[in-house]
Amino acid sequence: MGLSVSNIVKNYGNYTAVDNLSFTLDEPGVFALLGTNGAGKTTSIRIILGMLACDKGEVLWDGKSFLAADKPIGYLAEERGLYPKYKVFDQLIYFCTLKGMRRVDAIKSLDYWFDRLGVNEHRLKRAEQLSKGNQQKIQLIAALAPNPELIILDEPLSGLDPVNAELFKTVIREEIKKRKYIIMSSHQMSTIEEFCQGIVILNKGKTVLQGDLNEIKKGYGRVKLTVKAEGDIREMAQQCELVVTEDTPNGTSFNVQSEQQAHKLLKMIIESGIPLIKYELREPTLNEIFIEKVGGQDEN
Amino acid sequence: MRTKGWQKIFSFTLIQYIKTKSFIIGTIIMCVIVAAICTLSNLLPVWISGDDWETSTENPDANNPLAELTAVYLYDETGLLEDSDRELIPSVTATDKSLKDMVDTLKTAENKSVAIQATLQKDSDGKFTGYSVTSYYSEPCDTDAVDTLNNLAQEVLHRRVLLNAGVSPDKYADTQFPISVSRMQAGGESSNFIMSAMNYFVPVVISLLLFILIFSYGQVVAQSIATEKTSRVMELLLTSVRPLAVVIGKVLAMGVVSFAQFILIGIVGGASAAISAPFGMLGKAFEIANDPKIQEALQQATSNLGAQTTDMQIAEAMNMLSNTFSVWNILVIIVIFLLGFVFFSLIAALIGASISRMEDLQQAMQPYALLGVLGVYLAYFPVIFNADALANDEVSINPVQMFSYFFPISSPFSLPSAVLLGTLSPVQIIGAVAVLAAVVVLVAIVVSKVYEAIILHNGNRIKLGEIFKMAMRK
Repeated sequence: MGLSVSNIVKNYGNYTAVDNLSFTLDEPGVFALLGTNGAGKTTSIRIILGMLACDKGEVLWDGKSFLAADKPIGYLAEERGLYPKYKVFDQLIYFCTLKGMRRVDAIKSLDYWFDRLGVNEHRLKRAEQLSKGNQQKIQLIAALAPNPELIILDEPLSGLDPVNAELFKTVIREEIKKRKYIIMSSHQMSTIEEFCQGIVILNKGKTVLQGDLNEIKKGYGRVKLTVKAEGDIREMAQQCELVVTEDTPNGTSFNVQSEQQAHKLLKMIIESGIPLIKYELREPTLNEIFIEKVGGQDEN
Repeated sequence: MRTKGWQKIFSFTLIQYIKTKSFIIGTIIMCVIVAAICTLSNLLPVWISGDDWETSTENPDANNPLAELTAVYLYDETGLLEDSDRELIPSVTATDKSLKDMVDTLKTAENKSVAIQATLQKDSDGKFTGYSVTSYYSEPCDTDAVDTLNNLAQEVLHRRVLLNAGVSPDKYADTQFPISVSRMQAGGESSNFIMSAMNYFVPVVISLLLFILIFSYGQVVAQSIATEKTSRVMELLLTSVRPLAVVIGKVLAMGVVSFAQFILIGIVGGASAAISAPFGMLGKAFEIANDPKIQEALQQATSNLGAQTTDMQIAEAMNMLSNTFSVWNILVIIVIFLLGFVFFSLIAALIGASISRMEDLQQAMQPYALLGVLGVYLAYFPVIFNADALANDEVSINPVQMFSYFFPISSPFSLPSAVLLGTLSPVQIIGAVAVLAAVVVLVAIVVSKVYEAIILHNGNRIKLGEIFKMAMRK
């Protein structure tokens, strides 16, 4: 069941945009496709959507050859696109009927989504008359109204104010509850961490990290230590062979080799009598993993 | 199916386009212009010729320019003319003034007066050589009236000479009938100025009208596709349909809009001409064409290789026009129109898909504009440069004109008028349409091969050479 992307390759002349990408979405949920700009995310998404043919590999849905035109997929593109001069309602009906919906069903679904996203008063306006945020809501409606099983969200929260970002997050959660398969691409790692189970990180077309996000983090272990105290702890850290990675008003951060190293520092601080405000030993964040995997290779 | 869903693209594009203000206003303006042209070209000749035209059917003097003359003074220096001869000239008035004084008076006269001087002509030895007639006229006089008066005076003088030579007035009257002259190339069409003029002007007007409809709507297709691509709507569309379906839906929608506008313009033009016909020259032409006597005379002239009067020429032209509006001809014209539209629109669609920024569209469309201009020039320039045919009242086509009927870039603009005017034989028409259809199929194959590759290309504009390379790849 679900989506299976197997060994897809896409070349543009001598340049390989996607090199042997594989992943599966066996269960409903959110899967993250990550990478720097030009890493091959958009090309991969276009191949999955059936817009582009791949040179090698295949994309299967429920084990069958997958063509976007045959299967309704909801797609929120990174670069938003609406007809600026046409009425919002007219173009949404058009997009829904293109997905195979009957007009009457499309109207019913649109009524629900206009209400859900609070844009009912804009339905008869031209797209160019709407604010950027409202245009983004209309785009999301275009993606979700046909009730697709697979939804691809490319930077869904970019450019949204906190209130609307929260609204979008709530809607995504609702879609997860409806057991939808969602592929999300974003540079906002906190959002990815909030929603995603599986991830793929691409760099220059190649897969540099792949797997379940929790497992990946567990694999790293609790290697990030942050300490905030009311005295100088740098000498004690040196004695524990800890290297400072960041020093901010919120505390001093270290990379630790083992948890014992962190415990040793904690014991020394307590014994010294310096009041301790914060002690946090944690797994690396996705942002830290991403920078480690992609930033390091970029420098090369 | 690469074309699945084109019907939805077609209906959305069609409905949205005809709802745009630019289309509605443009169509209204075009209809008003066509209605005005059709009405004015029918009425203007009548208005320009003033009351004469209106009364021409009721008043026999309406076509007689001499009727407007106030006074005619005859100075006979030949000594031949008698009082009965003078009575043959309308408005002739007796006067005591010498010719010199009369000419001085006419210089400042405000009425339409003419002084005719008939004299003997002699050579240097004083030997008689003939007669001469000279007319002196006041400024308000129409020169046509003066020329007619001269001809009448010449005729009266000639009559008097013959009567003096012993010909009886009855015999003279019996021999007075018009003799028209004409020139015909052996094996050629009969000489007919009206038909020659139609062959000259109809292709020019039709080719320009078709150019506007075919070429400009092709540009709309390019702009529409470029807008969808650059505004990223295309990405949304392509999650549901294949790129080829988008092209087909758009080209056909614009084709229907263009064709409907073509038909609407035709109906408006036809209705305007029909409404204004009773008050203009068209009504007269229909009257002539429906006159059984003229039709009979035309048949006789045709079967006996005889010459035609102006009325017969008009009747023949009207007969030809009514014959050309056959179902077959109309179907052929529709097919040519649609093929031409698809040909230019597919090229325009390809160009629209090749750009990534709207600012590049104008530059990218230059080759398309060149093609269109070349096509329409080939369609009407050979006609314009065939002025000899018009001057000689002939219906003939030159080799460049013939080439334009078979060349697919120009044939959408030139073929319809050739079908309408019966310039080409049915075999030639079928051949020209077949060539156009074959090229359209070829262009469609090329477009289907490269369109999917270029529609998602963003970045630098794809050059024409690169598109050709893509088309050549397997």
